[in-house]
Amino acid sequence: MNKKVMLVAGAVISSAIFSLAVGQQRTLTISSFGLNQPLIDKNVTRPFETLCNCKIVYEVGNNADRLAKLIARKNNPNIDVALLGDYFAQAAIREGLLDQLDTRKIPNRNQIYDFAKNPLGNDYGVAFTAYTISLAYRTDKISTPLTSWRDLWRPELKGRIALPNITTTQGPPVVFAVNRAYAGTDSNVNPGFQQLAALKPNILTFYNQSSQVASLFAQDEIWVAPIGRFAWGTMLNTGKPLAWARLREGQIGLMNTVSIVKGTKNEDLAHQYINFLISKEVQLAQANDLVDSPINKTVQLKPAKAAQLTTLGEFANMRFLDAKYLLGVRDEWIARWNKEIAR
Amino acid sequence: MTNNRPRAWLLLFPATVFLLAVFVYPVGVFLLSSFRLENGVGLDNYFTFFSSEVNIEVYWRTVRIALLVTLVSAVVSYPAALAIMQLGAQYRGLLIGLIILPLMISPVARSFAWLVVLGREGLINKTLVGTGVLKESIPILYTENAVFIGLLQLMLPLMLLSLTSALENLPRDVIAAARSLGANSLQVFTRVILPLTRDGLTIGGTLVFTGCVTAYVTPALLGGPRVTMLATLLYQKAGVTVDEAATTVISMVMLLTTLAVNAALKSRSRGAA
Repeated sequence: MNKKVMLVAGAVISSAIFSLAVGQQRTLTISSFGLNQPLIDKNVTRPFETLCNCKIVYEVGNNADRLAKLIARKNNPNIDVALLGDYFAQAAIREGLLDQLDTRKIPNRNQIYDFAKNPLGNDYGVAFTAYTISLAYRTDKISTPLTSWRDLWRPELKGRIALPNITTTQGPPVVFAVNRAYAGTDSNVNPGFQQLAALKPNILTFYNQSSQVASLFAQDEIWVAPIGRFAWGTMLNTGKPLAWARLREGQIGLMNTVSIVKGTKNEDLAHQYINFLISKEVQLAQANDLVDSPINKTVQLKPAKAAQLTTLGEFANMRFLDAKYLLGVRDEWIARWNKEIAR
Repeated sequence: MTNNRPRAWLLLFPATVFLLAVFVYPVGVFLLSSFRLENGVGLDNYFTFFSSEVNIEVYWRTVRIALLVTLVSAVVSYPAALAIMQLGAQYRGLLIGLIILPLMISPVARSFAWLVVLGREGLINKTLVGTGVLKESIPILYTENAVFIGLLQLMLPLMLLSLTSALENLPRDVIAAARSLGANSLQVFTRVILPLTRDGLTIGGTLVFTGCVTAYVTPALLGGPRVTMLATLLYQKAGVTVDEAATTVISMVMLLTTLAVNAALKSRSRGAA
């Protein structure tokens, strides 16, 4: 009996000591996208945990969900670092959720493209990747290659298109691109909305996550979807014959930025993480796994990999969408979309 | 008897405190905030919500699908429940186990399975096209029909269980008595079985209707943004556009609608009895 008591006591004490030791390890909480998480864990999470002797915890979801959570917890933030699409980051700045970076603590910032260094203004964040939005399509079902946004209106695509829902990150850029393709302007989006309303017969559904698009392609439900280049690797994993359309309207681009959340207690660790995220090693590893296109200038990719990503040459010709413009029109577009298109 | 009363209150005390603290108080505060305006109280949030054509459409769609699922599940469950009651006790246990089985599968997994069955290249379309019933596959997924099918499968066990237990309490002899007095099968059902199992129908109906109104995963995955229901709209308002007024209004509307249907079912069963 006594022996048993001793054993139990010993177990309790040793587990208490163990938890104390673990308790000393700091935790960095990151709000992130969730797509390709196993690859991100391999390329970023585990190497950084070894480097900083800390623990990384993720809260994942799409931009809109995560921004809503950041707003809800504004006075008592539980997130240290937020990875957001650039116009959601602008929204976060407007809500007073982000802190300015101390760029001296991010030496790798000197290795990234100029457009990525201060995309949000006032050093509220750096871009860690940039990507284009275009059409991914089945080459076995569509014989004539898609070369324009206007090709979505082909009758053969009846019920075979998944569009991004307006509340997703890709939603407003698709409205923007379609509007431009039909000669609309920033101040007149009627052509875009009218055309999208006429596209209804071709639309099977609206997606909220890129992973949904992958399963729709995998099950032969859809033949075309506008997606971000970051999701291309996931689409190729479906094993279906897919192509990335080179559209004659040109490439529109968006950035994903990384920022520090106001009120964090791990400010130094957060800077260290951002510096790590844009380092040559991490950017190369992420690019080779087709997770994100690199914005670190020193990264050298094999041509076969570069062909699957948004690359150096394309960045120069890309037209980055004005994040502040999108932010300004988003609420109005959501209301209009719900009324005219999503029914 | 009177001695027992204080003790009964004492025994109820912990559960009452728990429910008041973690359910009645927070939910009450949340729902009441739907009447709060910038200055004072009023129904403005409700007027704003129902002034939108889209919101009204979502409301009627939700009520329509929920009522239809409730009705169809009752129609399908009565014969099944009667059949189960006529089987021996050993089979009855097995069958009830099988009824409960779908309830044990996560709604997410179940909805994904439906994606495979209902798709353009799914089981139903392949069968219909293969047997020549259809010339080419038709869209089922991402329509109201898909949501209806998914919810019916999800909620049917609740109705079946309620009716089975109601039938268990039905005195065996009444059916034989009705028959010996010359009632045909239809008369036995409408004059004897239905009135005597109305309580089960009320419980089952309330469970199914409430379940349909509050279900999130099934309409989100099988219907998508095109078939928005109250629960998916609630999520959008709460999680994406952060519209607190609409969130509280939708919650209140959901609660009142389910209470109204429950009251209607109850009054019908009482009126008939």
